[in-house]
Amino acid sequence: MNSLDPRVVRLPKVGEEGKIFPKAPLDQFGTFEVFVQPKEGKPFQHEGIVHAPNLELAYVLAKETFTRRFVCVSIYVVDTRDVFVSPMTDGNLSAYEVLDEAKDGVGSKNFEIYHLVKRGKQHVHAGSVTAASHAGAMSKAKFELAQGKVVYNIWAIETSSIRFTMPEDREFWLTLPEKKFRDAADYKGGDKLTKFLEKNQTMKN
Amino acid sequence: MYGGGNTFEGIKTDSIAQEDPTKLAEFEARIERGEKIEPTDWMPQLYRKQLIRMIEQHAHSEIIGALPEGTWITRAPGFKRKMALMAKVQDEVGHAQLLYSAAETLGKPREQMIDDLITGKSKYSNIFNYPTFTWADCCFISWLVDAGAIVNQLANAKGSYGPYCRALDRICAEESFHLKYGHHCVIYLASGTQKQRQMFQEALNRWWPPMMHFFGPSDKISVHTEVLMKWKVKMGTNDDMRNQFLDMYVPKIWELGFSIPDPNLKKNEETGRWNYTEPDWEEFKRVINGDGPCNKERLEVRRIAEERGKWVREALKTPKTKYVMPLA
Amino acid sequence: MENLPLKELLYKMADDQLILGHRNSEWTGFGPLLEEDIAFSSMAQDKVGHSLALYTLLHQLGENDPDTVAFTRNAPQFHNCVFVELPNQEYDFSLIRHFLYDSAEALRFEMLTASSYEPLAQVAKKIRAELRYHTLHAKTWINQLGSATEESVSRLQKSLDYAFPYALGIFEQSPYESDLIAQRIFAGESVLKEQWLAKVEEMLAKTSLHMPDWKVIQPITGGRIGKHSEHLQPLLDEMSEVFRIDPTAEW
Repeated sequence: MNSLDPRVVRLPKVGEEGKIFPKAPLDQFGTFEVFVQPKEGKPFQHEGIVHAPNLELAYVLAKETFTRRFVCVSIYVVDTRDVFVSPMTDGNLSAYEVLDEAKDGVGSKNFEIYHLVKRGKQHVHAGSVTAASHAGAMSKAKFELAQGKVVYNIWAIETSSIRFTMPEDREFWLTLPEKKFRDAADYKGGDKLTKFLEKNQTMKN
Repeated sequence: MYGGGNTFEGIKTDSIAQEDPTKLAEFEARIERGEKIEPTDWMPQLYRKQLIRMIEQHAHSEIIGALPEGTWITRAPGFKRKMALMAKVQDEVGHAQLLYSAAETLGKPREQMIDDLITGKSKYSNIFNYPTFTWADCCFISWLVDAGAIVNQLANAKGSYGPYCRALDRICAEESFHLKYGHHCVIYLASGTQKQRQMFQEALNRWWPPMMHFFGPSDKISVHTEVLMKWKVKMGTNDDMRNQFLDMYVPKIWELGFSIPDPNLKKNEETGRWNYTEPDWEEFKRVINGDGPCNKERLEVRRIAEERGKWVREALKTPKTKYVMPLA
Repeated sequence: MENLPLKELLYKMADDQLILGHRNSEWTGFGPLLEEDIAFSSMAQDKVGHSLALYTLLHQLGENDPDTVAFTRNAPQFHNCVFVELPNQEYDFSLIRHFLYDSAEALRFEMLTASSYEPLAQVAKKIRAELRYHTLHAKTWINQLGSATEESVSRLQKSLDYAFPYALGIFEQSPYESDLIAQRIFAGESVLKEQWLAKVEEMLAKTSLHMPDWKVIQPITGGRIGKHSEHLQPLLDEMSEVFRIDPTAEW
């Protein structure tokens, strides 16, 4: 192809111009939810999704999609279908109030509970509970984690379905603060500008 | 990066009349209170449709917007510029990823949006259909097109749809690097050799008309969007955005000793509005409808990228993983 | 005193990182999946960053500043292996190169964290941390595509077979090999090559790909002494097109 971009000039000829074989809407990669821990001691929070064929690749792709900027110490990902979602409420009504009481007895599975405490914000990790099912986990979280707080939306994720960051892989983010070339603060043009303006002034005088 | 001038459809308000009046009143009251709408909340069909259209156009503008600057990614002069430009073009791809995700929460799968881009069914920001002849054109985009986009995105971040606002907050935080980097590049060209100054002046002459188009047609001729303003889908008029941009950046361009190719450009100190020669809206329409200098190339590059990546995606698709709408 | 062995080592590593980072950055905006486009670009940026860190060490040893060194030399003055200068071709080759090259780099910089030249050991620790992600990324893709469909396996195998003689050229011996080992700056290319072969073999064994019979392959060398393929000079001309408009100007 003719182009000002040498990379485009090098592109191979593929298929037919303007023709694309349409993808069946649901026949594509899955979505995986991404959670990021910005600092040691801070809770994980929901950041968004990646498209991926499986959990492991979702983890690999989430790392640069969501943590190439700003501080981070750990991430994890989970298949969107493994997130159990409560109804959404508003005003003074907590989502915990509209849940059916779950009668699933005593269980020993671990669940991570996420709360939305302000509409428009991200879901933030509230804590972990042990239960037999997602519904049971929410019922337990009502007493153990909500403590009367108004929560507009609750997510429950079974811990075993999460791809966590391995302890030794926390090194991934070691040099992040040193990557100054992605930081606005590394592009201070003030001095150069002042010198330039002064020179122009002198030339005019 | 993205301009205004979203091509909203001519709005048929009768579709609103078919909505449940109680739910509609609740919905509007929520927006009035300044609360965000979340994906699982009830929303009018028209709201959903126009939001998908707008966010999708924005996402396309990012992925296509990676191309004009990408033209110089292998040629950036020196380590500082090379690394910054790589990171900046990458961010544009990242922004597309975030915005597609936000649009997906409204029910349109990403792959379908990408197909619609390639077949020309959906639009993207007009400005990316212009070529970057020299390094200075690339610097113009990094500084001023991004500046324009920020004016727009900061306004849209105050809109009503939660996932879009959250994506924009993230994008705006990243754009502060783009803007500073772009300005830094232009300061270096301005205070450099005669040749460097001339390079930027020429780029500025080329890019000024598309930059004026960037915010969309004048309010006098653009479709009426009152209901979208009320629902906080559209956050400011095209002329307001353009004026805000001129107010912030014309003085900075003049400060560097460059001239802007419009003899009528002048601020009316009484009204606070900028006067300028009316942009050529016929050209704007022509380019948006496919007849710009680079429309064909931009879409071809995207199509080829999709086609070349197909075997990777085909190889790993499995019935175990199903596409579902993202949560938030 | 001039430390030629050390400088030679730094130059070849820096040149490798710059040229491969540059090549990989050509994918930005053209990748097979948005998320992968982003990931691959980050690693390209890391590589260029690594080259900058190494050129900076050279500058401290009295060599020219990094911009001059990177943007004004011609192909015969570059010490990178031929492998990194090859055009990207399709994504299968780019992934295979990423896998083969980064597996070697991860081992190399792991070794260099113990270098007797302390500034290099410090830089190596940082590079090692970043390469940790690069190798996870490479391993995951090769694992998955290398055991997926007939098409993906045969594409990767073809690229692997094509790449291997070049990959063996990574370990072209330096004329100062014994000095580096004696001074405990670097344990040497042969040790590295042994470790690399074992590592690659171990990783390929988990896939449907088979390890090329390296014992009978003639490595493609020459890059370390400035003998390059026809691809390097055009790459350098392109990279320095703007810089060379006026090398004394500030851009």
